[in-house]
Amino acid sequence: MTTRPNPPPGEGARPGPDQGRDQGRDQGRDQGRDQGRDQGRDQGHSQDPARDGPEESIAGLAQERTSLAWTRTAIAFAALGGVVLKANVVTGLIIVAVAPVIWHLGRVTLGTAPAGDRLPAMPVAGATRLFIIAVTIAGVALLCLIVAIFGKSVPGALR
Amino acid sequence: MSWSNRLALLLPGAVANDTGGTEPDPRFTFANERTFLAWSRTALALVVAGLAIVQLLPPFPGVPFGRHLLGVPLIALGAVLAVVAYTEWVRNQHALRRGEPMPKSNVPWILAATITGMAIISAIVLLISAVR
Repeated sequence: MTTRPNPPPGEGARPGPDQGRDQGRDQGRDQGRDQGRDQGRDQGHSQDPARDGPEESIAGLAQERTSLAWTRTAIAFAALGGVVLKANVVTGLIIVAVAPVIWHLGRVTLGTAPAGDRLPAMPVAGATRLFIIAVTIAGVALLCLIVAIFGKSVPGALR
Repeated sequence: MSWSNRLALLLPGAVANDTGGTEPDPRFTFANERTFLAWSRTALALVVAGLAIVQLLPPFPGVPFGRHLLGVPLIALGAVLAVVAYTEWVRNQHALRRGEPMPKSNVPWILAATITGMAIISAIVLLISAVR
């Protein structure tokens, strides 16, 4: 299995042609990052805020961004339910009902952390929540597949 | 390692009981979770787009199966993407815990290739319906 360098959040992988030339610089940067990460475990942020920026260096903001991402996901579910409602009322209502559940799952992330820039406590049920999301989306997609193939269409609704 | 063992490692219980390595910086854990959620929204968007094409668009003249040709693959890709996003999250979390390099992901390439293919098929369907 091929691998790529482990980038810090918000930073993409470096292109291949530059890899050899920048190896030494990357190595130094990685060492600095690892050191910052180790220190970050104790203090909640790295020792290089100029590189991280205030948004990346404060763990509480990362937690808030994650909570907002959960909210966007819940809104996406509600939007999907709205579209499905046009085709199949029962299926649409089921999907709309899933939206608040998703939002509540996201609140678990927000509720387990102290305020400020201290290290938040990680939610215990992290893997379970994400597994539920993945299975729910796959199930909803299969429902939509059935509706798309066998359901009565409303042609021209977007005309 | 057999496929059943690989699948068992993806279950939430196995992930939660993973005691290898150390707990990564929460910022990296949150970033990994946000990436999973972003892929999940992409999957939902594909499902919405596919369903809207099949259910709401007017039929393409001369191409009676056109709407299903465009919509059904998008919905199927949405289902696959949701599951793959979870497996990617597990792999990334595993690498983060152990301080290993992040595993290479083929998902962006697959998504880009599929969208490009669907765009080409859409253009062909539209051209055929315009000619007839």
